[in-house]
Amino acid sequence: MSEPVTESVLAVKDLSVFLSREGRPSRVLDDISFDMFPGEIVALVGESGSGKTSIGLTLQGLLPREYLPQVAGSIRLAGIELVGAGRRTWQSARRQLVRAISQDPMGALNPTMTIRRQMRETSGGAGGSIEDWLSRTGLPDPDRIADALPHRLSGGQRQRVLIAMAMMARPKLLIADEPTTALDVTMQAQILDLLRDLAREQQTAILFVTHDLGVAASLADRVLVLYAGRIVEMGRTRDVARNAAHPYSAGLLAARFDLDTDRRRPLPTLPPERTPSINVENACAYATRCPIAQPDCTAIRPPLEPASVHDGAVACLHHDQTSFLLAQRAGTKPWPAQAIQETAALRLSNVGKTYRTGPRSFWGRRQPQPVLRSVSLSIKLGECVALVGESGAGKSTLLRIAAGLVVPESGTVTRFDKLPPQVVFQDPVAALTPWLTIGEQIGERLRAVSLDSGYGRRLVGEAIKLVGLDPVLMDALPAEMSVGQCQRAVLARAVIVPPRLLLCDEPISAMDVSLAATTLNLLSDLRRRLDMAMLFVTHDLAAARIIADRVAVLKDGELVEVADPDAIIAAPQSAYTRSLIAAMPSLQAGGGR
Amino acid sequence: MLAYLIKSFVGAVVVLLVMSFIVFCLQSIIPADPARAIAGPSAPPEKVEAMREQLGLDDPAVVQYGRFLLRLAHADLGTSVRTRRPVADDIQQYLPATLELGLASIALGVALAGVMAALQFLIPGLGGIRLAMVGVGSTPIFLSALLLTYFFWFRLDWLPGAGRLAYRDFAGPTGFNVVDGILVGRPEVSVDALLHMILPALALALPIGIAVGRSLNGALHDVMSQAYVRTARGKGLSETKVLLSHGLRNAATAPLSMLGLQVRLLFGNLLVVERVFGWPGLGLYTVQAFASADLPAVLGVAIVFGILYILVNTLIEIGQSMADPRINL
Repeated sequence: MSEPVTESVLAVKDLSVFLSREGRPSRVLDDISFDMFPGEIVALVGESGSGKTSIGLTLQGLLPREYLPQVAGSIRLAGIELVGAGRRTWQSARRQLVRAISQDPMGALNPTMTIRRQMRETSGGAGGSIEDWLSRTGLPDPDRIADALPHRLSGGQRQRVLIAMAMMARPKLLIADEPTTALDVTMQAQILDLLRDLAREQQTAILFVTHDLGVAASLADRVLVLYAGRIVEMGRTRDVARNAAHPYSAGLLAARFDLDTDRRRPLPTLPPERTPSINVENACAYATRCPIAQPDCTAIRPPLEPASVHDGAVACLHHDQTSFLLAQRAGTKPWPAQAIQETAALRLSNVGKTYRTGPRSFWGRRQPQPVLRSVSLSIKLGECVALVGESGAGKSTLLRIAAGLVVPESGTVTRFDKLPPQVVFQDPVAALTPWLTIGEQIGERLRAVSLDSGYGRRLVGEAIKLVGLDPVLMDALPAEMSVGQCQRAVLARAVIVPPRLLLCDEPISAMDVSLAATTLNLLSDLRRRLDMAMLFVTHDLAAARIIADRVAVLKDGELVEVADPDAIIAAPQSAYTRSLIAAMPSLQAGGGR
Repeated sequence: MLAYLIKSFVGAVVVLLVMSFIVFCLQSIIPADPARAIAGPSAPPEKVEAMREQLGLDDPAVVQYGRFLLRLAHADLGTSVRTRRPVADDIQQYLPATLELGLASIALGVALAGVMAALQFLIPGLGGIRLAMVGVGSTPIFLSALLLTYFFWFRLDWLPGAGRLAYRDFAGPTGFNVVDGILVGRPEVSVDALLHMILPALALALPIGIAVGRSLNGALHDVMSQAYVRTARGKGLSETKVLLSHGLRNAATAPLSMLGLQVRLLFGNLLVVERVFGWPGLGLYTVQAFASADLPAVLGVAIVFGILYILVNTLIEIGQSMADPRINL
């Protein structure tokens, strides 16, 4: 790395953080060191649970107090040491030096305060009115927005407001914690552009927290890859994206799918996470998942050293082997051909639905607003159709109508058999009853069949094995399991009595890259093995292309096109589909500028 | 807002109509003969008959109900069997004492709730307070009222334990003694009235304070872990400012609902507490009316409490919409 000319704005050295949960301190950040320079964008990449959000909170001094955080090491922000600093120092640092925008623009604004009052609390540095700042983030009609309450604004507008609010204080450092995950793809691209422009204009350093190396590549100058609270690789974005040195980074990259990914074979995934039975004080935390792990990996803690393949650094004893790993990944067996029959598993004809969401009348009744206007769609037995559209397009309503949970006002719904279709919802944790064991919840679907309990339990065990879940977890409660395990349990419940039709409502949108790839593989496998038809609702065109035989694009309650995925991507018929494709972040785009 | 006020007024009229109908039905179901009650137990039958005619008790029910409504509209609630005075006059006489005590208890209850929530919020893991709250909260009001009189009046003699005022002949313009003392320039009257009010108001305020305090505490706990509170902290605001301008307002809706519920319970508790402390208000008047089967008096008080309840509900809803501007009245 060339010697920087400017002085670093943030210097983190040997930062370790312990949080106490139920009296036991656990290490969430382990010996983190990095610098950031004015105007630089650094991406912090890792799976959920890697500690990437904790870094952001530590830099703001906002780790939850109930976990009794213990912070060791050094954080120098604009020359001020913050580790061990008093309340006042932290407050003034938050006021002037460091700001954050978060993952959830819906929850990050006070619902009972107008935007203007919330922005006024940001004691603005040098000049610029609230309206100026709102219009600088590309918000039309800043006067109206300033006087509005947050619930009147869309997700994208709220994120812009939060950016304006943060940038107005002219901070030296902006922490952006997954600021685009809750947004549509088109909105995501605009927000990323905005952040890039602001960083350059105001010389603000941005720490961009994300689970997606693709998003990181399209924005950041440098990347830090975080695993189990440690930095395992750091380097220039282009280097890491093309030539990952750590097997974990390589795995993250391989699990990433976009519009060019091979859809005929299973997606490459990271090996599933296992609770480390090894002492990470003198071992590599990734060793239990690592495909190239050697005996010494569980005996020596790998130091962060200069990498041989790029200018950055990597913490892996055998990182010279990683390139072989990258070369290997094309070798998986393709999916077997799926027989699609002519009979329809589900047929929706001219289905229409309105919700009362319009303005209120005098007596408080709301005016009806159409969500679906005369939608006709059929799914053949064994076929998978993906339904793509932005939030508010009516995707979920259509799925609920297909499931029989919502009754359409017009049109007809015909299903192949009397068995109700099974539904997989977006949040697998919320879809499980917290006080019933996984086995009980999966077995509930057998009640209608009335079997003796021994045989029932065997069927539950088989279903659990079918989705790749450890049979030990049969007696576990949902709270004891990871999100990925909960997702598998939800699927086991859906397929223990295999339905003719499986309905999936955004099952991967809240997941990090490798879990999303694992889930897509599992769904593809299950539908082929159990011969299920599937309706897969998503706002992610890349996921739709990978899993589906046909893609249907929904816009404002109307189907704008239905076709083969590759045909749609090669020649999109509607402007909306074109904008979806243009907004997809890609490893090839951006990056080194 | 105007539409809301009109709606709640219309609602109040409907509620009052329903209530008046129930009251009217009760009057005709209960096996007490108003004519005989008014004429007196020893009156000759022809006198009772004449009274019956005078009261219109032989008319069809609909006519009687119409007449009843007409009288209600003129604030005529009938004549009390016990005091032999118009019920409306009695209520006018006793209402200020009850309103004064009731308002004082609500204010004290809200203050208690605030202090308790603040303590629990500022000192996390304060188990003792929770235990004490459960203890006090589960004590029935007649018991806590008696305990308060026993300790602070009988044993310690710190505070007066009965009555409303030591100055027997004092009568002010509003009937609110604390206010009247200041109005007529006799501050010693106000002080004495306040001292008399402490124990009964405390007995009434304890359940309000505990219920509202727990609800406020729970709501604050939820709100202070919300993302927008983190945003506020991230702006470098002080913790007090975060609590006051972002926490409290967002946490207000649930405790306000709880306050509304508690005020309704307060009407019942007033009967007990006024009886224990010999407080000359509507509660005591109602207890005495019960004892002498004074139906017109009981029903009159019921209608007054009904109106008060509707008023409280409306105020609570307005308060909630002020705290949360998303609630459109």
